Amino acid sequence: MIRYSHILSLLTFLLVVSAFAPIQAQDAPAPVNLTLAGYAVPREAYGDIIPLFQQYWQEQTGQQVIVLESYQASGAQSRAVAGGFEADIVALSIEPDVTRLVDAGLISEDWKSETPYDGFVTRSLVVLAVRPGNPLGITGWGGLANENIQVITPDPATSGGAQWNILAAYGAARHGAAEGFSADDTGAEAFLRAVAANIEVLDRDGRESFLTFERGIGDVAITYENEVLGGQLVGGQYDLIIPQSTILIENPVAVVDTYVDLHGTREVAEAFVQFLFAADAQRAFANHGFRPVNPTVGAEYGLVDEGTPGAVTPNTTITFAPVDDLFTIEEFGGWREARAAFFGDEGLFTRIIAEVQGQ
Amino acid sequence: MREITPRSPIAILLIVIVIGYAAILFIAPLVAVVQGAFAGGLEPILNTFRDPSVVHAFQVTLVLSGAAVAINAILGLTTAWVLTRHRFRGRKLFDTLVDIPFVFSPVIAGYAMIVLFGRDGWLAPPLVPIVFALPGILLAKVFVSLPFVVREVQPVLQTIAPEQEEAAATIGAGSFTTFRRVILPEIRTALLYGVVLTFARAIGEFGAVAVVSGNIEGYTETATSYVYRALNDRSTVGAYSVSVTLCLLSIGILVLMSSLRRRLNEQER
Repeated sequence: MIRYSHILSLLTFLLVVSAFAPIQAQDAPAPVNLTLAGYAVPREAYGDIIPLFQQYWQEQTGQQVIVLESYQASGAQSRAVAGGFEADIVALSIEPDVTRLVDAGLISEDWKSETPYDGFVTRSLVVLAVRPGNPLGITGWGGLANENIQVITPDPATSGGAQWNILAAYGAARHGAAEGFSADDTGAEAFLRAVAANIEVLDRDGRESFLTFERGIGDVAITYENEVLGGQLVGGQYDLIIPQSTILIENPVAVVDTYVDLHGTREVAEAFVQFLFAADAQRAFANHGFRPVNPTVGAEYGLVDEGTPGAVTPNTTITFAPVDDLFTIEEFGGWREARAAFFGDEGLFTRIIAEVQGQ
Repeated sequence: MREITPRSPIAILLIVIVIGYAAILFIAPLVAVVQGAFAGGLEPILNTFRDPSVVHAFQVTLVLSGAAVAINAILGLTTAWVLTRHRFRGRKLFDTLVDIPFVFSPVIAGYAMIVLFGRDGWLAPPLVPIVFALPGILLAKVFVSLPFVVREVQPVLQTIAPEQEEAAATIGAGSFTTFRRVILPEIRTALLYGVVLTFARAIGEFGAVAVVSGNIEGYTETATSYVYRALNDRSTVGAYSVSVTLCLLSIGILVLMSSLRRRLNEQER
């Protein structure tokens, strides 16, 4: 006679056994595990790219590769890897989050020379998102300083990506793109102060901040082109405004040298990173709203000319408009300088936010 | 027990306040979550549970919470025993410290674990990884749910006079027999209650687990971590359906516990 308790013990046993093994396909010849630690936003793009890489690697070597994926805020991810999360590859939102791992001795100093585009796998822009039909007639940075405008942007104290937003606003104002403010440091500081006074919610990270805007809070969100395009693809109702002057966002990717050597996965990890720069992976990123770094693929989305089709079909609803005045982090002398000048304990934005909140 | 039929307006007001408070704090959110889960019909919910990473997240959650219960039941009983039956220097301080997991922020506990067991940590494990792997999640769950068994069992143990144990010993009962025949019948309701609370706390834990797990999908991701990820991915149905399942699990455990308790009480009579 079968007793319920026997069935229960058997089920418990199966549950225990299966919980301790990562998901993997059966009867595969010595598969290799690859752990990818990414920031939250490009998750969907990696969902398209990973199967392509698995197929590519199988064809090249006959080996099955299992990619374990983890996504969280860039800074948190970087700190986790520094603290012992043994990821083979990191795909983060800002360069300083990779620099932290270089400083920790996990990634070699010359990581940028290991990839074709200086270590950056995707690009984007700091842009503005407004309500459908742009009821407040916001056309650029100047509109954010008007009275009674509610601005949504993530908190640069916790979000790496949020720092792009503040630097974009300041840099654009210094270039004269904020109407009503002088095109110099004094004008830019005054502009930043006016915008900070209008900030309604400072969320923890970029995605949370944009979801707050999607839920109907605020008149305008300082956000990223990929965030707006990606949101519109799944039915989000808002308009994209590319300011005449803004900062070019560059997202780094790197092999974590210490951990790949520990796992013996250097070869497949490096192949994966190289694969991210190939046309199909770049198309996958572009289909989710990221500007490709590969110029051939960029061409397919209106950046220059035309390219060759592959396994991934370009989404024709996405085009990347040119920007009149595009500057990079070098505008501020690189990340180290920019972080100290704006977000350090005595940084400009740290002081402005303290003043505004003290009111 | 004396029951009063409410007559005075103050009594009625009190009842209204208590029910309104409960309705706002947990009935309304529960209704909202259930409604959100079924907003798109049954198919999106089924699709959520066809996702192998969701199934795996539940396995990790249930197995590790079960293990946390086993550990905390045994160590919790022992702790309660030591605190009530032995006098030693620092006992009062230790008694206070047992509540630390209740007052400590789980996120900070998680970071403390990384500092201890992470790369270059004081207690960095030589062979098997602890943080960013399953043992770290277990440790986090054990930590946050540690006080329940102790705090449920301790007051009951205090009411049992040591004479009963001594009497059992004089008629030749070994210590295990004494525990099974004398102590256990007295404390089993409290133990059961402690175990249920431990389990409920362990399956619901998010903060500490989010920090120590690395959130690797299909490996170290738990059900609550999945809810957070799904919300950030605009997969509201996924987030809602997993939340509803977690709610049902907790309610199921509560129902199971009260029926068990009733049965135990009937046996005693």
